Amino acid sequence: MTSAKLTVSALAVIAATASVAHAREQIQVSGSSTVLPYSTIAAEAFSENTDFPTPVIESGGSSAGLQKFCQGVGENTVDIANASRPIRESEIETCRANGVTDIIEVQIGYDGIVFASDIEGPDFEFTPADWYNALAAEVVVDGEIAANPYTRWNQIRPELPDQAILAFVPGTKHGTREVFEEKVIADGCEESGASDAFTAARGEDGADACTVLRTDGRSVDIDGDYTETLARIQSDKDGIGVFGLSFYENNTDKLKVGTISGVTPSTETIASGEYPVSRPLYFYLKKAHIGTIPGLKEFAEFFVSDAVAGPSGPLAQYGLVADPELAQVQQTVADEATMQ
Amino acid sequence: MPVFWIVSIVLVLAVAGYVAAKARVLKLAGGDSRRLHSRHVYYGWYGALLVATPALLVLAAWMAAQPVVIDRGIAADLPPSVMREGVNPAIVVQDVRRTATALSQGLREGVLTRTDLADAAAQAETLRPRLTEAGIRLPPAASEPAMLGAGGEYRARQVAGHWAMTGVVLLLAVGGLVLGHRQSQPQTRARNLVERFVKAALITCSSIAILTTAGIVLSMVFESAQFFRQYAWTDFFFGTTWSPRFGGGSQLGILPLLWGTLYISAIALVVAVPIGLFAAIYMSEYASNRVRSFVKPTIEVLAGIPTIVYGLFALMTVGPMLRDWFAQPLGLGSSGSSVMTAGLVMGIMLIPFVSSLSDDIINAVPQSLRDGALGLGSTQSETVRKVVLPAALPGIVGAVLLAASRAIGETMIVVMGAGAAAKMDLNPFEAMTTITVKIVSQLTGDTDFNSAETLVAFALGLSLFVITLILNIVALYVVRKYREQYE
Amino acid sequence: MTDLSASGAARKSSLVTLDDRTRRRNAAERRFRAYGVAAIATAALALAILLVTIVGNGVGAFRQTFVTIPVTLDAQQLDPAGNRDRGEMSGVLTLAYGGLLNQSLRQSIEGAGIEVEGLTDRDIDDLISKDAPAQIRNRVLANPDLVGQTVEVAVLTNGRVDGYYKGRVSLASAANDGNTSPQQLALADALKERGLLATKWNWAFLTNPDASDQRPEAAGVGIAILGSLYMMLVVLFLAVPIGVAASIYLEEFAPKNRLTDVIEVNIANLAAVPSIVFGILGLAAFINFAGLPQSAPIVGGLVLVLMTLPTIIISTRAALKAVPPSIRDAALGVGASRMQTVFHHVLPLALPGILTGTIIGLAQALGETAPLLLIGMVAFVRNFPAAPPEGLFDPASALPVQVYNWTQRADPAFFERASGAIIVLLVLLLCMNLLAIYLRRRFERRW
Repeated sequence: MTSAKLTVSALAVIAATASVAHAREQIQVSGSSTVLPYSTIAAEAFSENTDFPTPVIESGGSSAGLQKFCQGVGENTVDIANASRPIRESEIETCRANGVTDIIEVQIGYDGIVFASDIEGPDFEFTPADWYNALAAEVVVDGEIAANPYTRWNQIRPELPDQAILAFVPGTKHGTREVFEEKVIADGCEESGASDAFTAARGEDGADACTVLRTDGRSVDIDGDYTETLARIQSDKDGIGVFGLSFYENNTDKLKVGTISGVTPSTETIASGEYPVSRPLYFYLKKAHIGTIPGLKEFAEFFVSDAVAGPSGPLAQYGLVADPELAQVQQTVADEATMQ
Repeated sequence: MPVFWIVSIVLVLAVAGYVAAKARVLKLAGGDSRRLHSRHVYYGWYGALLVATPALLVLAAWMAAQPVVIDRGIAADLPPSVMREGVNPAIVVQDVRRTATALSQGLREGVLTRTDLADAAAQAETLRPRLTEAGIRLPPAASEPAMLGAGGEYRARQVAGHWAMTGVVLLLAVGGLVLGHRQSQPQTRARNLVERFVKAALITCSSIAILTTAGIVLSMVFESAQFFRQYAWTDFFFGTTWSPRFGGGSQLGILPLLWGTLYISAIALVVAVPIGLFAAIYMSEYASNRVRSFVKPTIEVLAGIPTIVYGLFALMTVGPMLRDWFAQPLGLGSSGSSVMTAGLVMGIMLIPFVSSLSDDIINAVPQSLRDGALGLGSTQSETVRKVVLPAALPGIVGAVLLAASRAIGETMIVVMGAGAAAKMDLNPFEAMTTITVKIVSQLTGDTDFNSAETLVAFALGLSLFVITLILNIVALYVVRKYREQYE
Repeated sequence: MTDLSASGAARKSSLVTLDDRTRRRNAAERRFRAYGVAAIATAALALAILLVTIVGNGVGAFRQTFVTIPVTLDAQQLDPAGNRDRGEMSGVLTLAYGGLLNQSLRQSIEGAGIEVEGLTDRDIDDLISKDAPAQIRNRVLANPDLVGQTVEVAVLTNGRVDGYYKGRVSLASAANDGNTSPQQLALADALKERGLLATKWNWAFLTNPDASDQRPEAAGVGIAILGSLYMMLVVLFLAVPIGVAASIYLEEFAPKNRLTDVIEVNIANLAAVPSIVFGILGLAAFINFAGLPQSAPIVGGLVLVLMTLPTIIISTRAALKAVPPSIRDAALGVGASRMQTVFHHVLPLALPGILTGTIIGLAQALGETAPLLLIGMVAFVRNFPAAPPEGLFDPASALPVQVYNWTQRADPAFFERASGAIIVLLVLLLCMNLLAIYLRRRFERRW
């Protein structure tokens, strides 16, 4: 009767384990994988310099993180949600319905988005219009709307290198894709005058066609992460990838970055607003958990302190563009000022 | 008394029940086990079950229920000074619980005494510094003396509940022991009773599978319904474009994903089934025992390599190779990621699913069948093809189905090998993607979690569930029809 | 084989000489055999390629570069109050320790008479891992009496210098690299010449917790190994008995009717459910409904139990089905009850097959990441979980999760560590397989 014995011992184990109902000591964070590296650097330094345990930081995307965040209050819900986009109205409503009413929004800085190609390849000096013309499904050729005919970069603009068009752009799940479409493709569409042509030909909503990307294999969606993009560039040297600034800065020996409208991306040019493509990064904090989860407020304050999130702190060293208005953010955390 | 000890005591009593019952019936039968209804061990088992089952069941139920009951009770009895205005009651109860834990810890470490705990609220001022000094952290809300009082009360109820539980459980165990002793009569149909119990346990275990299914359906059906409120079902099931957009206006047709899923799985099976089956046949019919006992686990390692390794292999090696050697010379495109890449690499991963399971099945075909066929003069391969394989068919189909299931559920290899672009194309050197990949990516993405773009993951999951269900029903029917039952 | 005998009647030749037909049949036989060998060779080749790649990439993770320098633990900086009180000394942050280390390194460089052209202060400071100050701080806080003494310490160098000695970084690539410079590498070479810097075996990879993105050199799989073991414990204790029990019922006792058909299809279908869906279920059932904690191995284990059950049930049923009916008939014939027949005769004979299914199921569970994504186990965890059973409720990571996390990180040094973690995973798997081989040998028989 081995199975009976096994069942009894299994029962014993369940019984032994079910007895443990202890209070959670560590801070629980979930959310965006873009914020994850910064969050881990801050968490590591936080636990090194305080007596609190290291916060546990999950990754799983802004959406899943906020969904967990809005699940309710109490020990078995997360305290902080990292997000690479602001929380949406409908999500706040779900939060409220589940009793998560007081949410503190903390903007930790900006994530720069850069275009980089293999280090052996030629230099690229892009304009948003180049990107639009290279990747949009429909472009304007000689005043006529046509399916994208370009196959090489120098067909778009003779100054660009003679290299086949192949771009690895973030998949439609990534927040980066949204920024890429809005700040590069749509801007380029505007700049090149194509958006006017669309509006003229198709009416009000015509300009929506601006951000529809071509599907003939020259624009490749990457649903994975930047390491996948890098691997693809290494296996296909013609490729140009969309990366986060921090990823590029850690791989400058393999990648060469392109400029946008003559500006080279760096933490300085992004902070000053010269380099156009960036997005803010946030974390959201449950006010109700301050005081009940040990070290929660201390962690938030530590995270946004000048020594950590400031321009010379470890986060900026890793590639975070420090928030020029960090002092204001620090005040928000200190005051526990919630969103409206 | 820690629960571990309670369980141990119950188990010790169960062993005692076993020994006592066995000894008693043997004695009553005058040492002649032929005069018993069942073999004597069954009386022992029966005695042990009578002790352990009710006691452990009650223990488990009590432990699940006690925290809930105490939380409810304490929430109702909290003084108004603790129930702060505008603070979620759940948080307050949590603070009370944390205070109680801190107090218990203080007691355990000898910082506090039982008398301190009795009226913690009154002695709040002296208790707090003592705890802090010992390095025990109180929640900030415990600055309110009433909170300490509530914590003390909470602890008192916990302790009372725990002792009540200990009492009840041990009483039940002892009761079981007595009952077992009484029922240990030679005419008791102990075997039937024990077997009835075992059968009930077996049925419970099988019902877990049903519960899982119910759970899966339940955990997806509400979100799916919400999705279909936002997005027309006709567009979802018959749409041929998959292009989620952040700003709305997404097209979320399942067909290109379904096509990709079937295409990639089919290629993977075309690779895995012949290789796996031939490997299995060779291992069980030709190879010596030593070779087999070495080769089989070696191949099984393939199933254990994390899929991310296969993914990187597909991305860095197989993808470019297929592109440069096949796709470009044949004029079939220049995509580094393709259905073929993912299919091939996934096929390799699936080999052990087919080979190991089939090997076991083939090995279990009775030797007499082989001897018969060989004795009639057929060669070994003829024996295998005409006799052994048909006999092993149902099991082999099961193995292939399992492999197919894994192929459908795989993400990493597809993402890295076949890409993330949803497309409907016959060209095997094009990038395509599967339903599972999109479930994962939409769930772990950055889109609004209430939007159709995220909720579609649930609808995709449910649809895939239904599709595989249909495939499985068909497979069951086919197996029934062609099954050859020998002996 | 009627056609065979028909043609055999027409055969005139002797049995000793081969005729065409026999030759054909023998050729077919040889071909068939060759297919088998080819199939096994293909599988073995694929395995060899994968293993060589993994080991080639990952073996470096077990070695690490250290620099050995004497550090003067300046009492004024580390213990301003001068009373060696641990509580007050913990007020001194890692920043101060970092300063001390840099100072000591500079002194040793001067002392050794190393001069590298164009070497900047930053090159020197960055040579030491960012994890080193924390190491020293912990050491000092654990033993406050060290303050004021000069101690010899071996601290980690940064990931790039380490990579230089593993062939990942070259002087040429360093010129383009924002995180190191050719001068820094030259300094490292000079230190190595003088025996101050060495690449050594690194146990810490197996015992350290994960580290943040800036410190690949300090990251280890300690917590991940524990987390995986805890989950395997849960799977072993629950999935195997439940799976075997369910299969026994379905195969041996259940009446063959609609209901059992439903259950059978149902289980086959569960095997095809993508693993992330089990994560959805786990989040809904175990965390949101049952209130179990986030990121805990118990939840991960339960999810993996549900996920592996179908695999175990399907293979166990196949194994039970393969036991010839004659065995059952014989047992029943001598008066055994059905329960006795199954437990005493059928089950032992089916054991090899059950083991195979269990191993494949466990291997799958051991390597799975997706279902853990939603229940919070794909996480950065640095505090070790307690011993079981309490530890099952503490946050932990898992080996495949660590691999997944590390392959996503920007610093290329993490790729090596990911491969190292895969090696650890494979070693665990091999141990499980060895056990299975042993058990299979003991129980396998033919009839």
